[in-house]
Amino acid sequence: MKWATRAGVHIDRAACAWLIRRHLDADAEFVFVDDPARVPPEATAFDMRGVELGHHGGDCSFETILRRHELTDPVLWKIAEIVHEADLDDERFDAPEAPGLDVILRGLSMTCADERVLELSGPLFEGMYEYYRRAFLLGRPPA
Amino acid sequence: MSAPAFRSCGTAGQWVLLAYRIPRQPSTLRITIWRKLDRLGVARLGDGLVALPADARTREQLEWIAEEIGEMGGSTTIWLADPGSAAQEQAIADGMRRARTAEYQAVIVQAQAAGRARPGERARTAKRLQAGLRRIGRRDFFPPAERDAAHLAVRELTRQDSGAATAETTAGRQQP
Repeated sequence: MKWATRAGVHIDRAACAWLIRRHLDADAEFVFVDDPARVPPEATAFDMRGVELGHHGGDCSFETILRRHELTDPVLWKIAEIVHEADLDDERFDAPEAPGLDVILRGLSMTCADERVLELSGPLFEGMYEYYRRAFLLGRPPA
Repeated sequence: MSAPAFRSCGTAGQWVLLAYRIPRQPSTLRITIWRKLDRLGVARLGDGLVALPADARTREQLEWIAEEIGEMGGSTTIWLADPGSAAQEQAIADGMRRARTAEYQAVIVQAQAAGRARPGERARTAKRLQAGLRRIGRRDFFPPAERDAAHLAVRELTRQDSGAATAETTAGRQQP
């Protein structure tokens, strides 16, 4: 399937792309557009104004995708808190990881093309997933 | 997550404007939007018209707020604008700088007061003020001189609390 989002990928879009590949569409193909009018008709748009998979009711797009697709994995919701704070910074959650993640993704978007940002950030989110999965099992931060 | 620097020239050049109308009732929605705009440190140019120096982040922030206003049944437009004159831009930037100055001064006053408090109390205040400085920094597009003074005051408070060893390691640090 084709998925479209805004060019100049940052934290929310990078996290959504990882989530889409991991849980919704393993063969997802991403296109990046500057103008919402340029979204290909066959593509599902995300993290753009006026689309279903965008910000809604104070949620970032990553949280919206989790809700719309009824993904209830607590590890994903933990990552959602971090993505929310890195993206919106509204202190809804206590996520000390967020400022660091924001810097890393902003830096990547300065030096890499959007496709490359997704290539590099995918393993990062995968690692975060594993870390918080173990944390949940242990009930404390894993070594 | 600090605000981008428009510091060298003291002006932004390009601005992103949000023109909006929110339904009068319920008033809680209006207040929610007001708070969000305040948090971003917008310049209020008129009734239902706010501005920020334009960059990818500020534009996105205002676009999502526009989306939220739309979901409340309001209407919005987003504009990219050049100031009509340097003097008028300067006046807007000065207004934003004054607003941040007041916030930094409040931090300085609280840090100085906490310097006379008990150690536990002092540590708690230091933490809170550090978070406050981070929050102010994000909307500080035209930093005033008080910025450094405020950071210094909070650092001083942290130093008093954690002893001389920490003081040595932080002494040489500069704010970005």
